[in-house]
Amino acid sequence: MSSDTLTIDGVGPMPVECPASVAELRDVVRRCATDGTAIYPVGGGTLLDYGTPPARPGIALSTGKLDQVIDFPARDMTITVQAGITVARLNEITKAERLWLPIDVPNPETATLGGSIAANVSGPRRYGYGTFRDYVIGVTLVNDRGEETKAGGRVVKNVAGYDLMKLYTGSLGTLGVITQVTLKLKPMPEAWASCLFFCGRHQLAQALELLHRTATRPSAISFAWFHQHDKTADHWAFVVVFEGNSEAVTWQQEQLRQELGASGIPAPDGNRGEGIGPEQNFGLESWIIFRANLRPSSAAGFCARAAESGNVALRCVAGGAVVRGGITADHYTMGDFARMLSNILEAANATDGNVLVERCPPEWKKSLAVWGRPPSDLALQKAVKRALDPNSVFNPGRFVTDAF
Amino acid sequence: MQTTATTADPLVERLRTLLGRDAVLANPSDLVVYECDAFTVEKKRPEVVVFPTSTEQVAAVVRLCKETETPFLARGAGTSLAGGCLPVGGGVIISLSRMKKVHEINIRDRYAVVDPGVVNLQLTKLVQAQGYHFAPDPSSQSASTIGGNSSTNAGGPHTLKYGVTVNHVLGLEIVLPDGTIVRTGGPAGDPTGYDMTGVIVGAEGTFGVVTKIWVRLTPLPPAVRTLLGIFDSIDDATNTITEIIAAGIIPAALEMIDIVILEAVEAAFHFGFPLDAEAVLIMEVDGLDAGLDREAERITEFARKNNAREVRKAATEAERLLLWKCRKQAFGALGRIAPSLCTQDGVVPRTKLPHMLRRAREIGAKYGLRIGNVFHAGDGNIHPLLLFDERDPDQVKRVFAASNEILDECIACGGSVTGEHGIGVEKLDFMPKLFAPVDLEQMLRLRRAFNPDNLCSPHKMFPTAGACVERARPARKAAI
Repeated sequence: MSSDTLTIDGVGPMPVECPASVAELRDVVRRCATDGTAIYPVGGGTLLDYGTPPARPGIALSTGKLDQVIDFPARDMTITVQAGITVARLNEITKAERLWLPIDVPNPETATLGGSIAANVSGPRRYGYGTFRDYVIGVTLVNDRGEETKAGGRVVKNVAGYDLMKLYTGSLGTLGVITQVTLKLKPMPEAWASCLFFCGRHQLAQALELLHRTATRPSAISFAWFHQHDKTADHWAFVVVFEGNSEAVTWQQEQLRQELGASGIPAPDGNRGEGIGPEQNFGLESWIIFRANLRPSSAAGFCARAAESGNVALRCVAGGAVVRGGITADHYTMGDFARMLSNILEAANATDGNVLVERCPPEWKKSLAVWGRPPSDLALQKAVKRALDPNSVFNPGRFVTDAF
Repeated sequence: MQTTATTADPLVERLRTLLGRDAVLANPSDLVVYECDAFTVEKKRPEVVVFPTSTEQVAAVVRLCKETETPFLARGAGTSLAGGCLPVGGGVIISLSRMKKVHEINIRDRYAVVDPGVVNLQLTKLVQAQGYHFAPDPSSQSASTIGGNSSTNAGGPHTLKYGVTVNHVLGLEIVLPDGTIVRTGGPAGDPTGYDMTGVIVGAEGTFGVVTKIWVRLTPLPPAVRTLLGIFDSIDDATNTITEIIAAGIIPAALEMIDIVILEAVEAAFHFGFPLDAEAVLIMEVDGLDAGLDREAERITEFARKNNAREVRKAATEAERLLLWKCRKQAFGALGRIAPSLCTQDGVVPRTKLPHMLRRAREIGAKYGLRIGNVFHAGDGNIHPLLLFDERDPDQVKRVFAASNEILDECIACGGSVTGEHGIGVEKLDFMPKLFAPVDLEQMLRLRRAFNPDNLCSPHKMFPTAGACVERARPARKAAI
């Protein structure tokens, strides 16, 4: 973060502190904790809209200068880095040793590793490789007392102590500032191949069922639908990626073509190459974005309902476990969105799913169910927040709050 | 009418009213079985053992414990090697062995919902015909329960490729220590809010009693190649492991068995292991058939380059299953060569394996002890087995000293003192060596959010004053 001030979700401008060492960062936290100043941790600032608005003004605390590689024992396939490193730089360093973190992070040039973990970012590759919770094996967090606390370690298998890596992953900076992370890495695949195909609106369920039953083992699945004014009118566009040894990759590409052909979905396109498949462009640009967590079997029904509800573009990953949607209309009122949201929330909730608002005008957030249906363990989550940040120093109002 | 002191106990009477007479054990002779698990060094008899059959019954028992300030803890099959099921504070053991229903199997969304008492292998058997399995496969899988696997975040040979238990748990139902029933996570995408499921798995039962588990079902690999590398030196075997991993190959499993263990295993199962080899490696690759032979060939080359005397391929499925039986039941076979054994569970970075095994050998020599090795080599997770006779107090003392020195060496290598068995009571003393006081305090703050009165499995995982149980002798049994 280069700017001196930052406005987060309509609250600000707040001063940005950018400590150059963990010791300095701890000093900032201690100072704020003492005088009751709220701390809003920021990494690359790519997801600042995510959450309910800050409850009170405070400071933005950037980890941008904490970007060192601490240890990279490549032959052990782990890496320990400071949390402010960008995902692009991390990838560059690991790929030089033919290793990688197989998690798709949008805007990797800007997004930091710590921020991506705090937001639990994932993309199309979660289908074959999982999410951050499967890769973070050690963590250092500066807590509300300004203490540098560690959990986990630097070995790939370790059950000593509580698994705070899981708790901090996806906690959106509400429990402290992640300053250092140890990751488990994967060897880079030898080859990749993709299948690109289209199917009609009414074929979506069939296509997803086929991908569930396929004899192939995709590493990434994504599918997108655009509203009727787009040139890919009324079609779902699929990208299925295979990664691994070259024989298996070649076989899978051909196999999926045949499976698609046999069920009446032509697979006109596909690519192949060495190493890792192309970066998965699953980003979504819109001023209003929602995200649904679903059972894969209910994705087709959910998407149909979301598409009917309004001017919406949909991008889905992992067989439909995560569906993100963006409003494509320039003129859309809070009332329009509230109606749509309650409609799709009902569809998601009916099968254990949920819909969150990732981005919308901050002034709408007071009236909208930003976190969808409250989780059944909310009271427990609040107890955890109270135990680890009793004075609500970190990200007050943004996540796991009374408004949740 | 015959009465005993225990039947007059008001707690026992109230438990009988709640659960029925056949679901409560309070007779001292019945309780002997529950005074320890597979970690037999330390013993403590619970006051009472209960066998609830539903979540509501578990919640009623927990509420009663809270009201009467009685410590309690959950127990699955009792296969813990670290004393996870030891009732250190006495009180009530909640045995989940009668909660063994499989509630749902959903192949389309790839999950199952099971009771905590469902045995690990049973679930895989139920879904195998449909082409799926429950991936975590601890060596105890034919006895240990999914509830216990979840509480300890159990591993197993195939976790090298497929991940440990937590990577396969999607959601939980848990009775918190105040008696409330909470559901976390589930089968739909990411959870809303904190990943409570992820932090409860592996908490070794100190956050409450897990009463239902949503687990991931994983497609079975369509093809598998299993190789057996035979080596004249341990260094050559461990160097092979290091090189396979460093070359970017992730086998489904990579397991080492050394000469000490081979002798016992051969006597028990007659597989045909050469008895003059120093070590064998079980090397398994799985996945799609295409390309698998080349992967197996690459592994064979690494073994040959490191002076493997021979690399055999399991010719039939029967031969492959026998090989795995030898591996998974290796501990059991050891009864033939020593009256007692102590199994350790250290982890080192994979490239430190050759060093670590040499050190373990030196430590064994220093204390005049025979040490066998059978372990998950690909993960760097070692299981040195110290052979001894527990009737000789001097040997017992030396086993303790040698174990501690081995685990200290793991820490010095940048590793951990437990990869899959847990801290339990066995490794309490090592927590301050792994973690600073602020780290432990952060974990204790979290425990207080779940378990403020510390009635739920007290004195586990974190060293506390006044919780010492007499430590008579090292563990003599091990995984089945």
